[in-house]
Amino acid sequence: MGKKKKVILPPELPQEVADDEVEVSDEDVDFVRENLKYAKFLTKLDTNSINRHVTRVADHKEDELEALYEKRNRKAALLKSKEEDERYVDPVDALPIKTLDGELQYRTAKGSKSGDITNENKSASWIKDSEKDTGVVKLTKAERRLKMKKSRKEAKKLAEEETKVDPAEEKLHSEVLAKVEEDLSAEELFAKKKIRLAEVGMALIENPESNIKSLKELLQICDDDDHNIVKLGLMSLLAVFKDIIPGYRIRLPTEKELEMTVSKAVQQTRSYESTLLHSYKAYLQKLITLDKQPTFHHVAVRCMCSLLDAVPHFNFRESLLANVVKNISSSDDVVRKLCCEAITSLFINEGKHGGQATLEAVRLIAAHVKFHDCQLHPDSIDVFLSLTFDEDLGKSESKEEKVKHKKKRRWQNQEGSNQVQGSDRKKARQELMVKTREEVNADFKAVSFVPGSEERRRMQSETLSAVFEMYFRILKHSMDPSVSRSKVNAVAASGASGSHPLLASCLNGLGKFSHLIDLDFMGDLMGCLKKLAGYSDHFDGSSSESCLSVSERFQCCLVAFRVMRNNLDALNVDLQDFFVQLYNLLLEYRPDRDRGEVLAEALKTMLWEGKQHDVQRAAAFIKRLATFSLSFGSAEAMAALVTIKHLLQKNSKCRNLLENDAGGGSFSGLVVKYQPEAADPNLSGALASVLWELSLLAKHYNPSISSTATSISSMASMDPAQNQVYLSTTSPLQAFKDLSIERELFKPTGKPVSLNRKRMRGKDFVIISPDEVQKVENTIDEEEVKCRLEEHFMVLRDIAENERLRGELNHTLSSIKLYKEYKRQKKQRDTSNT
Amino acid sequence: MRPLDEKETAAVFEKLFKFTGPNLKHIVERPAVEGPDDPPGRYCFRLHKNRVYYASESLVRRSTNVSRARLAGIGTCIGKFTHHGSFRLTVQALDLLAAHARHKVWLKPTAEMSFLYGNSVLKSGLGRITDNVKSGDGVVVFSMTDVPLGFGVAARSTQDCRKAHADAIVVNHQADAGEYLRNEAEL
Repeated sequence: MGKKKKVILPPELPQEVADDEVEVSDEDVDFVRENLKYAKFLTKLDTNSINRHVTRVADHKEDELEALYEKRNRKAALLKSKEEDERYVDPVDALPIKTLDGELQYRTAKGSKSGDITNENKSASWIKDSEKDTGVVKLTKAERRLKMKKSRKEAKKLAEEETKVDPAEEKLHSEVLAKVEEDLSAEELFAKKKIRLAEVGMALIENPESNIKSLKELLQICDDDDHNIVKLGLMSLLAVFKDIIPGYRIRLPTEKELEMTVSKAVQQTRSYESTLLHSYKAYLQKLITLDKQPTFHHVAVRCMCSLLDAVPHFNFRESLLANVVKNISSSDDVVRKLCCEAITSLFINEGKHGGQATLEAVRLIAAHVKFHDCQLHPDSIDVFLSLTFDEDLGKSESKEEKVKHKKKRRWQNQEGSNQVQGSDRKKARQELMVKTREEVNADFKAVSFVPGSEERRRMQSETLSAVFEMYFRILKHSMDPSVSRSKVNAVAASGASGSHPLLASCLNGLGKFSHLIDLDFMGDLMGCLKKLAGYSDHFDGSSSESCLSVSERFQCCLVAFRVMRNNLDALNVDLQDFFVQLYNLLLEYRPDRDRGEVLAEALKTMLWEGKQHDVQRAAAFIKRLATFSLSFGSAEAMAALVTIKHLLQKNSKCRNLLENDAGGGSFSGLVVKYQPEAADPNLSGALASVLWELSLLAKHYNPSISSTATSISSMASMDPAQNQVYLSTTSPLQAFKDLSIERELFKPTGKPVSLNRKRMRGKDFVIISPDEVQKVENTIDEEEVKCRLEEHFMVLRDIAENERLRGELNHTLSSIKLYKEYKRQKKQRDTSNT
Repeated sequence: MRPLDEKETAAVFEKLFKFTGPNLKHIVERPAVEGPDDPPGRYCFRLHKNRVYYASESLVRRSTNVSRARLAGIGTCIGKFTHHGSFRLTVQALDLLAAHARHKVWLKPTAEMSFLYGNSVLKSGLGRITDNVKSGDGVVVFSMTDVPLGFGVAARSTQDCRKAHADAIVVNHQADAGEYLRNEAEL
């Protein structure tokens, strides 16, 4: 026990116990022999540390000393318990420890243990990711623990003493450190540094005011050669900064202010703040430089993102933002995701920074997009979807102000009437009061963190204009054929995202913020969308082959409709060109290639929700959708059928399509025959056709589709006068989603059903097990077939020959019979004659 | 009765193009529904007594049996040449235009009557309008139930319509179905 204990608890060996008094058990001796390495390590360390401890302990006052001892004891107990849990149970160790002051210590020091463990956990959580790849320490657990214990103690002492360092000790200290460092192997150093980090970090978080200086030390640690240490240092600094950065922006005092004499407390705060700010700046600079090195890229980005997330109000936000935005379209998924999340949280938690950062971020991203010529990852634009714009902002405020003004005026008027009677002195005093009140208000406004509604309104509109400017830039860019063509080759290799990676998310954004678009932009926007959707005037001659995918073109139509619908309550504009586009796009839709939801949504917004349609157009769409639903999956078919139903309900004249005779009567217009391939729904002459598709669809394998088709075909009997008796409640999008879910569910059950069907059919025909068929197919070769056939036909020929001969025989026999008969009759006649 | 000469054809097509845009092609190339020819013939334009008629080829061929003085008209009259030589569409062309129109305006039921008496369409009577109408384009006017009522020339673009005053004129009147009663003798 003795020797081991000496190692672990150097202060406990002191003076009283002489060496020969210590009883050394046999097991201990064995252990030491077995692990000579330990012993060596001990002997080297012993002199230094013990010397130092003794001298240091002597410096302490009485009660401090006591506290120190108690602390150590507890530590010892903790160590012991841990050791016993995991390693081997030394029978001597298992006994309670008798300390110097005669106290028996059992292994019950849970409280302190948990405290310590949290420390470790904390550092461990920072370490986690880096430790995974590199931190595999090859020492045994126990060994490492010993060393850790040792170094941690030293570190703790260092930290404790740091506030009142006197030079002599410092010297000693550094000497000791130097020696220790020589001795320790690389792993030990690593562990030591790790622990040092943890200690300093904890101390900082516990009491930032007094320990603020140690930020510099942490920063120095980050200059280490060891990559892992640097990473750990960055992470722990991040945690520290997150914790100690105040909820306000620090403004360094001006020179004039510095000259003024101030109280001690103010002085202290100032120095604290300036230190914090300087080290924060240094930290950021370090992050930015490290960001460029591939090994530290992830860590640096993670640090910056979480800083941006946690303290967007603090100084140096601009550089932080600039760096995060720079990485927002990184090809590395992790980095990109981190950055996007940081920006999104910036947008969502506007209260943290009062909206200013949002504006900056949006501008930066817009500039980024411009710089990269719109060739970015769509994620970088998708963050805008989390922007929120408060429309009511300012409106109510201004009203209130007006009311206030009125009240104020009234009040002032009253006051004025009073003042006439009041003396001059009173007047002066009142003026003074008003003045001071105004001043206080102004100060409050300047100081208070939340900007006024006016300010917020201004910022919001600026943000909005930046966002739309960027969206329009992307649109313009994707419209420019020369650019797209030159880029197509480059991008074609890179992936399937097409030459306009940003377009889809740009369209999403436009759809979302469509209600905020200014009317003046509307015309241009519509023109852009129309071109993008692939519409070209026939007389232009230049058929603009659009390189957009069908889904994207659907989306263009969709966005155009949204924009129109959201803006034009007053005027009902009929977007004919987009209808033409949709009509033609339906033909190009491929279930697997294109996104069905977009189609369903387009159907919903354009046809299902649209208020009025031409009869011709509605009929054309009905006919085309019916044809369409025949050839596609059940989900798309369902969406189409729901739309058809809705259109038929709204347009009673279109129910002519359900009648049994083609021709369409007087409604059919100038086009008498249905032209399925016409590009213009108005000229397709769909009213002259009959919806035969429905009777086919009524036999659809999916029961819901067949029932819908049947219900649609029964609409013919509805009284044409009674319009819109009941309107279906499910939208195409809803129907599509329902059925696509159903399809997912249907897949596993599909097999047994088909088997059943086969069996049912099997009863009608000859049952041949597939195995037999295969056998037969396999065994018979051509030769054999030839032989068999030959035989077969031989037999057949023989049979035919046989039959022929028989017939001949019969014939001869009968003729012989006849001849005999004739002879006999002749004889009789002759005899009768004679 | 004679085919149009080049100048006349240009004038007629120019007018029609204002209303139908690229759909003019469909008007010219439309297969005829009448007549015995198996690949159905086309429709063609014929000038007769200063009026331009739109008739199928088979009809034109058969009409040669009637002397020029006695022929009242064939097919559909779509317009007439004035004494100055300019071409003017008449209301009979309405069906043809309505089927191929590019720009349309739908009238609120309250404004229908006013338009049918020969007045222009005001913003207040506007029920619906196609996108991308520019001022000067030919516009076909419909009722809300899609019955063609007449046609005219857009006085302002769709964009301007949004901001326009309720009394502002949107479509200048050219012809309406009411003329069948009002100008019965002239038609």
